[in-house]
Order: sequence, then structure tokens, then C-alpha cells
Amino acid sequence: MSTQTPTPAPAAVSTDVIVETRNLGKIYRDFWGRKKVQALKSLDIEIRRGEIFGLLGPNGSGKSTTIKLMLGLLFPTSGRAFVFGKEATDVAKNERIGYLPEESYLYKFLNAEETLDFYGRLFDMPASVRRERAAELIQRVGLQRHRRRQLREYSKGMTRRIGLAQALINEPEFLVLDEPTTGLDPIGTKEMKDLILKLRDEGKTILLCSHQLADVQDVCDRVAILHQGELKEAGRVDALLKVQDVTQIHAKGLSEEAKSKIREIIQQSNSELLKMDNPTTTMEELFLDIVQQSEQRPGARSVGASN
Amino acid sequence: MRLEPNQFWTYWEWAFDQRGFLYGGILALILAVLGFLVGYIVATIKHGPAEGFLVVAKIIGQLFTADLPKMSPRRIFAMAKLSFKEALRSRVLVVVAVFVVAIMFAGWFIDPKSDNPAQLYIPTVLFLTNMLVLLMGLFLSTFSIPRDISSKIIYTMVTKPVRPTEIFLGRVFGMIAVGTLTVSIFGLLSYVFITRGLQHTHEIEVMPTDTVAGQTTTYRLHSHTFTLDEQGEGVTDVVKGHRHIVKKVGDKLVVSSQIGDLEARNPIYGKLRFTGRDGEDSEGINVGSISEYLKYVEGDTLSSAIFTFTNVPKDLFENSVTFDMTLDAFRTYKGDIVTPVGGIYFFRSLDGAVETERFGFKVKEGVIDQKTIALDLKSVDGKDINFFTDIAPEGSFELVIRCTDRGQYLGMAQADLYLRAKEKSFEWNFTKGFISIWLQMCIVICFGVMFSTFLSGPVAIVATLSVIVLGMFGWFLDDLTSGELPGGGPVEALIRLPLQSGSVSELDLGSPVVENTIRAIDKGILFSVGLLKNALPNLYDLGTTEFVTYGVNLFEGLLARHLTIAFGYFVMTSIISYFFLKTREMAG
Ligand SMILES: Nc1ncnc2c1ncn2[C@@H]1O[C@H](COP(=O)(O)OP(=O)(O)OP(=O)(O)O)[C@@H](O)[C@H]1O
Ligand SMILES: [Mg+2]
Repeated sequence: MSTQTPTPAPAAVSTDVIVETRNLGKIYRDFWGRKKVQALKSLDIEIRRGEIFGLLGPNGSGKSTTIKLMLGLLFPTSGRAFVFGKEATDVAKNERIGYLPEESYLYKFLNAEETLDFYGRLFDMPASVRRERAAELIQRVGLQRHRRRQLREYSKGMTRRIGLAQALINEPEFLVLDEPTTGLDPIGTKEMKDLILKLRDEGKTILLCSHQLADVQDVCDRVAILHQGELKEAGRVDALLKVQDVTQIHAKGLSEEAKSKIREIIQQSNSELLKMDNPTTTMEELFLDIVQQSEQRPGARSVGASN
Repeated sequence: MRLEPNQFWTYWEWAFDQRGFLYGGILALILAVLGFLVGYIVATIKHGPAEGFLVVAKIIGQLFTADLPKMSPRRIFAMAKLSFKEALRSRVLVVVAVFVVAIMFAGWFIDPKSDNPAQLYIPTVLFLTNMLVLLMGLFLSTFSIPRDISSKIIYTMVTKPVRPTEIFLGRVFGMIAVGTLTVSIFGLLSYVFITRGLQHTHEIEVMPTDTVAGQTTTYRLHSHTFTLDEQGEGVTDVVKGHRHIVKKVGDKLVVSSQIGDLEARNPIYGKLRFTGRDGEDSEGINVGSISEYLKYVEGDTLSSAIFTFTNVPKDLFENSVTFDMTLDAFRTYKGDIVTPVGGIYFFRSLDGAVETERFGFKVKEGVIDQKTIALDLKSVDGKDINFFTDIAPEGSFELVIRCTDRGQYLGMAQADLYLRAKEKSFEWNFTKGFISIWLQMCIVICFGVMFSTFLSGPVAIVATLSVIVLGMFGWFLDDLTSGELPGGGPVEALIRLPLQSGSVSELDLGSPVVENTIRAIDKGILFSVGLLKNALPNLYDLGTTEFVTYGVNLFEGLLARHLTIAFGYFVMTSIISYFFLKTREMAG
């Protein structure tokens, strides 16, 4: 598994804020207005232009809720969310946004071309532009061979791909991806990650949430970790993962002899060898750690503004 | 078929003289205020009074600053096209097959002994079309938005720059397109069904001679008689609502297909007034007839019924003036029941200076009696006059009817006498009948989509169905809200119930203040229900089947009025839907 450290965000990153949430909270109520569940508690985050922002958290921690609030699909019960400096419920912001929902919610009776044509029209794109964009995107997500088939015949991964194409139809400045890699095979996952990085390099801002911690670690510049609707940790991925006084040694093709030499050196320098084995995904450790701590001591953690 | 007086108002008469626009405007205003209040109350519960007001103001503001001006035809078209495709791909056109089967069944059951088969065929197909099309509109319109929401497809839609107005319009237009297609197919099939069903001819059974009229063979339980003129041509008598043309070809007689069963008479109505026994103005005599419109003139007096026609176009009449009348006779003594009551009619110029000779007639009760007079005729004092030069120079004139039998009465309403101008095309009339159905369908679709913006599919169906049922039987509410019910309004009735007080006696609670308060509350309730009734479409009034069935040209003015009313409902449902879509949490 690749453990490529994310390249620090390009220098071009300005301090432009794309999304800002202030004290954002959401309580789901039933028909009678009785409280069912507090899905999100006073969330404050900022997503800046040109970065890939990851939203992490266990199932039911409020990731999708946060995304829906940012898109105006839900109305906050407290606080506010701003996208491009406008209220999240403002329709005009959608011109510059692309959204891939948790599952691809698309019309099953349309084929790939018709789907993209339909969404293109919703952006008021003239026919020639729509045709061009549709062809390009179908190519990009690798659905050329299936572009005339109704979506009801699509496999899960194919549905995911057309969902992504749909999200990109307007060349959005800000892309919201809810679990983009679920349902994709390893090659598809790799392609998706490459695509996300490429889009970032094109200057787009991306918000994604995922359970695939490795994916997040691979692509995200900054992450926020949610648990039970509360923000537990936020910051740059490289900073979060760097444990200051621990050194990990990764090597390839070491002989037993070399290994014992290394142990010696560590002993000589009065240090203690913690472990030396195939590294686990470090993001996973961080994640499990936070969830564990949070379960012991519920409540919002003061979030170090590690930048 | 008896037309109601309101049916032959012209469009502008309805709009201004009868205050159609004014009442529409008032209703719109009241609904707007009510809507605002309800919205404000809901917002206050959620956000508190001050914030709530801001929220409502903002939504209304956005309607005019963004959601209306920034609408895009392309987006609306996209949504409409989608609805259209969705409907076709879910095979709504199966309804066409249902229709075909239904009319085939109906074809078997149409009574061959009927006096006028056309008058059975036409209402059958119109009724079937009406029911199927409204049902289709009902199911199409109420399910699409709830399905989008429950399948969460709405997420990908409303995160595009789509405005609530566009969602409503797109859906409505798409479904109307499906409906238009269906209605057109039904219309064509119906036309073929009717013309094929009526199409027939006869052979010659008895050759006409100088003394004996010719007779056709009996086919479909009827035969015709006919005579020929010198050219060897003739027309049969009218049987079962039609005639045939008989023509000599070589030395054989050929009978044509039937004519005259599918017609679109073009009636021109006048205004009716009455004069009393000495010629003074009067209301006409009420003999306690069932129809509230029927008024009578007294026999052997100057008592007259006067129809005033204005600006009748000359070119609608060729060599004669033809009119149809359907009169009622009221006998104060039985006399000889076989001899019909007699009357006279004559034409008079508007200033009364010129009168034509008197034409006598015998009443054919309840049957359309057709009268034709030549344009060149005699005046009452025996001079040769021309109808359009002397009687009606501007096309305006009076037609006076009197009863000649002492002690007997002739009764009529405004709709019972009309001039017959040149026939209009049956096909166009038939089309207009389908346009009426189409309009009803559009209204149902608007309501269905509106309900589906805030109700789930099944509930929206029930709500829309209620609108249809109330709309078809709206006359029930008419009675209810006119306030003329014995036993008073709802509150009074509730109080009478435990008191076991009969509904005929006055309510007596011992305190006039309480009684008056109850009556005032009842008035308020009935007024509100009356209002609500007007907010719901009266589909019964929008029905025009009778016009097509009885071969009367459906006035363009009436159709235009229906169109305007339908447009009113379209605007109303659009605005209500806007507020619901705008304030609805799509992922909630
Ligand atoms: N429409 C809803 N009505 C009521 N409760 C809801 C609704 N949607 C989400 N919730 C609740 O809100 C909480 C957060 O849900 P959310 O979907 O945001 O989680 P998530 O982090 O996206 O989880 P997952 O990783 O499983 O997608 C959960 O407890 C969920 O049950
Ligand atoms: Mg989720």
C-alpha cells in the first residue's frame, strides 16, 4: 500500500475560505417536533481554497449531516454554514459546486449520456458544450463502453463513476465527495485518488469523507475527525500523524544481521526500541485512538490549530 | 340540452360585466393574505415572532428578486423532458390500451334502438376520455416529486442551480405534455370510433313514383323515405338524427352515407325580456315551473316574450333566417289535449317602426322546433321588405312571441330560442370538447404536483382525488354555502342536536345575543367554506360534453373563460408549491 506523504499543498494556496461553519448544529426531529437525535454539535471548521479536506469519523458520527448542511439539503438547527461567503441555502452557490452523494442518486431509466445531458441542462449549458463535456467525462471516468446503457443495469462501481461524472459536469470550483471510493475496486480506488489529486492540482477545492483511512491519508491535506457529532481533532495530516518523539524505521531487504545491528545502535544511544515491524496505517491508529479517548471522556476536545 | 344563461356570456361580458376578473382578483388577494398568515404563524413557531417575520419576508423577497427572474427555460425544459421520459418509460401509454378496450366494450352496449346513436356515442367517448385522463393526471402528478425525495434523487437535483419554481414548472409541463399526447390519441381514436360506428347506408326498397314516396331498406333498425326532384336528386327524412342523399346515377338510385348526425350548430342568443297583458314591461309570469329560468306569457293578450338580438353578422345568413325554439306550454284548462297550444311570432326593428307579418305556430313541447323565414318577406301592413335592410339594418332586431290561446301560457328561458347561423365544423367542436377535458387534466396535474410538494405520494393522491370529487360535485357545496339551509349553519345544527330541536323552528336559547353570535359564527364559517370552494376548481362547470353531444358549437368565449380559470389555478398552485419547495428540507 502506498504511503506517499501528501505533498504540502501548493504554495499558491491562498487564505481564501470556501466553506465556513460557525457553531453549526443539527438536531433531527420527528414529525411532531420531538428530538430524535443530535447529529451535529457546534461545529466550527474552515475549508480553504485549493485544499483537499477530509471529514473522518465512525458510522453515524455526522459526516453526511455536515455535508448536507453545507449544501443546503438540511437546515441547521443552530449556527450557520457559509459557502463561497453565501448562506448555504442559497441556490446561486450551486453553480460552482459539484456533489457526489453517499450513494449515486440518479434516474435509473436514463443512460449515461442522457444523465449528463440532463444535469448539463440544469446548469443552463448550451447543447454543444453539454455534448463536449459529457463525452469528455465519460472518457474520464471510464464508461465509454457503457454510455448507452440505462443506469439500472449498472454495477455499483459503474454507478459510482457516473455519479462522479455528474458531479464534475459544471467544472466545479468546490467538489464535495461523500465516500467517493466505496464500491470501487482497487484499480478504481487508485484512479479515484489520482483523479482527486489531479483535480486539486487544477486548483479545485475538495471536501471528502470516507472510512478508508488509508485513502484519506493518501490524499487529504487537512482532516477533521468527528465522533458522535462532535469535532475531535482537526489539522494538517502530516502534523497530526507526526508523533514528535517516536521514530519509525522503515526499510526494505534488511538482513537479520543488519537488524540486530540497528537494535544495538539504539541500545547504545540509551534509547528504547519500541517496535520494528511492518507499519500499520498510521491514520488508522490516530483514528482509533481518538475514538477510544472520546468514548472514555465524551465532550468536545480542544482542537489544536495545527496548520 | 338547455344552456344556462352564464354559458353564453361572451368572454368580456364574463370578465368585466359579470366581474369575473374582479372576483378572481379578490379571491387571489384573500388567499395571499391567508397564505401569508399561515406562513407567518409557522415561522413564528419555529423562529419566534420577529425572526419569523424576517424569514417569511425573505422568502417572498427571493421569489421576486431571484427565483422568478433567474428562471431558465432550459432548466424547465430539462425537467419537463425528464418527466415526459419518465412517464413514457414507466409505460403510462398502457392507458391507451385500456381506452381502446373500454370503447370496444362500450360499443357493444350502445343501444341500437336509440333515437339518436350519435348522442350516445359522443358522451360515451368523452366520458371515458375524461375519466381516464383525469386518473392518469392524478397518478402521474402525485408520485413524481415524492418519489424523487424518497429515492433521494432530489439531492443531486437541488444541489444544482435549480430553483423551486423550475421544479414545479418542469414537472407540470412535462406531465401536461404526456397528457396532451394521450388526449390527442384518445381524440383521434374516439373520432374514428364515432364515425365508423355511425357510418352506414341503405339500399332502395321501394322505388319512388309520382304518387308514392321512395323507401330505403331497413338497416340498423331504421329506414328512410324520400322523394326525388326533376334532376333525380333527393334527401331522405330525418330518422335517428340523420338523413341520406339519394341520387340517380344512370338508371340506378344511389343512397349516400348518413349526413347531419355530427353537427355543430352555431347558435346566436338574444336577450330575453317580457311584457305583461297590456304590453307593459314585466318579469314574465312564474307558473311554479321546475326550472327557475322558465317564465311564461299569457295567451290572447299583449303579453309577449321579446328576444333582442344585437349586431348579428349578416354574412352568417344566406337566403333565410333560421331559428330553433323549444317552448313549454302551461294549460290552465285541459281543453282538447291533442291540439297543441298555438302562438305567433314576428320580427320587429329595434325602434319598433317596422314589423313583419305574423307567423303562426303550434307548440311542440320539449322538442326543438326549427323555423325558417326568407330574407325577403312582407311587413305587417303588407309591404315587401327585406330582413337586413328594413328590420335589422345594423344586425340588431327583436323577435316577439305571443300565445294565441286564451287561458293558456307559453313558457321559455333565454336559452330556449336562438338563431342558427351557418354551421360550424363538427371536427372543431369535437376538438374543443377534448380541449375542455385537457384543461381539466391540466388543473388536476397542477393540484397533484402542488400536493406532492408537501405530502407523501399516497396522501397527495387522496388530497387530489378529493379536489376532483369536490370539483365534480361542487353543486353540493353551493347549496351548503348559500346559507339557505333549514336549521342554520354548522354551529347552530350542533346546538340543535342535543336540544332535539326540529330544524324548522327558530333557534331559541333564551338570549338573542347568544343566538345572534351563533348565527354570525355560522355565517363566517359558511363564508370561509364558500371561499375555499372557489379556491378549488369546479370541474363540473368546466365540462362541455353536452355541447358536443347535442351538436351545439362550443362558444370560443366559454372556452377562453375556462382557459383563464385554469390559468388562475396554475398560478395559484405554482405559488403554493413554491413556498413548500422553498421551505422544505430535502434531506430531512
Ligand atoms: N434523516 C434523518 N433523520 C433522523 N436521524 C438521522 C437522519 N439522518 C441521519 N440521522 C442520524 O444522524 C446521525 C449522523 O448521521 P450521518 O448520516 O451524518 O452519519 P455519517 O457520519 O455520515 O455516517 P456513515 O459513515 O455511516 O455514513 C446518525 O445518528 C443518524 O442516525
Ligand atoms: Mg454518511
